[in-house]
Amino acid sequence: MSLLAAIRPDDWNIALFVHILGAMTLVGSIALVIAYIASDNLRLGFRTLLIVVIPSWIVMRVAAQWIASKEHVDDIDPTPSWVDIGYSTSEGSFLLLLIATVCAGFAARRARGGGLRTATLALLAISLVAYVVAIWAMSTKPT
Amino acid sequence: MYDTLLFLHLIAAFLLAVTVVMYSAVALGAATTGRAMFVADRCWDVGGLGTIVLGVWLVLNLDQYDITDGWIIGAIVLWFVATGLGQTVQRRLAAGETTAIATLHWLRTLTVLGLLVLMVWKPGA
Repeated sequence: MSLLAAIRPDDWNIALFVHILGAMTLVGSIALVIAYIASDNLRLGFRTLLIVVIPSWIVMRVAAQWIASKEHVDDIDPTPSWVDIGYSTSEGSFLLLLIATVCAGFAARRARGGGLRTATLALLAISLVAYVVAIWAMSTKPT
Repeated sequence: MYDTLLFLHLIAAFLLAVTVVMYSAVALGAATTGRAMFVADRCWDVGGLGTIVLGVWLVLNLDQYDITDGWIIGAIVLWFVATGLGQTVQRRLAAGETTAIATLHWLRTLTVLGLLVLMVWKPGA
């Protein structure tokens, strides 16, 4: 399956490019938010979540659907497990990112973030682990 | 073997993205800390080494690609350009020089984007 992916049709490339670019920006910006929040810059962390992390998740997910429709992977019965893993990690992580954004927003209003700061860091760390699993699924394409 | 190499190659590429995003925040004027820059630089060290070593290993592992293919040579050249630009930015920041830091960073970002274009389109493959 991976070897087939190496010789995919050219008209899939733009969707794949946007998908990977969105995913890379997403992972990079989550790391940036973790760095901000770990150094108690909660306001900047919150703004980065709103302005970069959430939009890059949307770009990544929309492009994922775009390439899935080009590859017709959703029409395969049963759906390949790597596609299911991709959908479940991305959608599950979006919920975590939304909760992290709310936590970071409330933490930024306080002088000290306390538990909300820790919760934000934990949610972002779980999201990063989920993305490593997604990258593994996308690259190895387990059936 | 191919799957494992590709997975690790992609993880390394994502580490490069972490560096580019963190430095982009600096180039856009956001506040930063020494610790964040340390993490960004180590991500480039590990990701840079990982992408080049695992990338070449992938090429040698696959019959359909050759190390002399134009897109692979192009990618290696871009990798050296991006690493050189990154090291210049790192050196100048460490020396407290701010001249052309943002320009050098955006050039590195464009070079990394060029690498991604080559990896996806594989022109001539």
